[in-house]
Amino acid sequence: MIQPQTHLNVADNSGARELVCIRIIGASNRRYAHICDIIVAVIKEIVLNTPLERSEVIIAIIVRTHKELKHDNGMIIRYDDNVAVVIDQEGNPKGTQIFGIVDETQFTMGKDTIANIKTSIRNADMNRKGTIQIGYLNKK
Amino acid sequence: MCLFQLFPILLAQFLPFHFNEKEFNHGLPFYLFRKKKKTEEIRMLKSVGPNFYTPFLSLFDQLVLGNCVLLVNLRRMRLEKCWFCSSTVYPGHGIKFVRNDAKIFRFCRSKCHKNFKMKRNPCKVKWTKAYRRLHGKDMTQDSTFEFERKRNRPERYDRNLAENTLKAIKKIDKIRSDRASDHIKNRLKTGKVQRQKEARKQLELGIHLVKASLALAQDSSLCLPKIKVNVSQAQTEENQPMEE
Repeated sequence: MIQPQTHLNVADNSGARELVCIRIIGASNRRYAHICDIIVAVIKEIVLNTPLERSEVIIAIIVRTHKELKHDNGMIIRYDDNVAVVIDQEGNPKGTQIFGIVDETQFTMGKDTIANIKTSIRNADMNRKGTIQIGYLNKK
Repeated sequence: MCLFQLFPILLAQFLPFHFNEKEFNHGLPFYLFRKKKKTEEIRMLKSVGPNFYTPFLSLFDQLVLGNCVLLVNLRRMRLEKCWFCSSTVYPGHGIKFVRNDAKIFRFCRSKCHKNFKMKRNPCKVKWTKAYRRLHGKDMTQDSTFEFERKRNRPERYDRNLAENTLKAIKKIDKIRSDRASDHIKNRLKTGKVQRQKEARKQLELGIHLVKASLALAQDSSLCLPKIKVNVSQAQTEENQPMEE
């Protein structure tokens, strides 16, 4: 349940550290964003010496929320924080690595918001954590 | 027989593209069933109980071929244990909480979830299995527990194995529950005399609640007076028309 003014952590190495949600992309008066939704955000905190600047307006996709995500098969998953990944207009991520846990099924199956991210995101079920390389950028 | 040749074609259409091919080669079970109601399937799942040789209880997706339903294993589910109370969490129930260090907590219902959020320690909460095991209320060590093991490798489906497993599960379950209730019975045996003493004392103190004081003066035993009821023959004949 991310709404404007929500502070989000950033889960990639694009350079941003903390974002504040400004707008949820979708319907005009959309109230809340969940995992897999795209938001417009402003950068509040950055990592030094990166291409992104503070108070720059960027687009991000939500990757983890504190509010439960309900799967169609009845599984309900809740994470520990609100986290997003910075992307650009076409849906390509700005960073090259994604940190932490991401729900695999939401990003590779039905929801086609990030069609261009061909990441090998491991499911939290397998109890693995760590960094994920974004394959199509061919950076290792 | 020809259906098996159709499998790769069918599945290529219906598989989600993230499906791992390696898992495929292990030999996932494919069944050909008549159409089953959803409740029947869930009952079937529930009756199997905890995991033994086959740790995965698959939630099947149904592909309809004419009047037959092909159940394809597209997802796999496991019967998990609630982190707080240790009861089994069936698929479709409960909440899973993933902490930032990738530790997963599964809860069977909101009661357990809320207790967790209150930061309660299950070993100190009396109704949980953790507490009971820790304080010796329930059986902890038994050979029947060794039959239940968690496995991450899927087993190649074998009908005989599955059949025998289901039979074994039932038997082992019965043995385990019998032993567990015996454990509790034995545990309660030692306090029997004490309990009887306390009951007797309570009766002596509170005899005025049970027996009228006049009756007590006449007959000072702690038993209730016996009341004799006369049943006449005429009454039983009157009851007979009621049966019609």
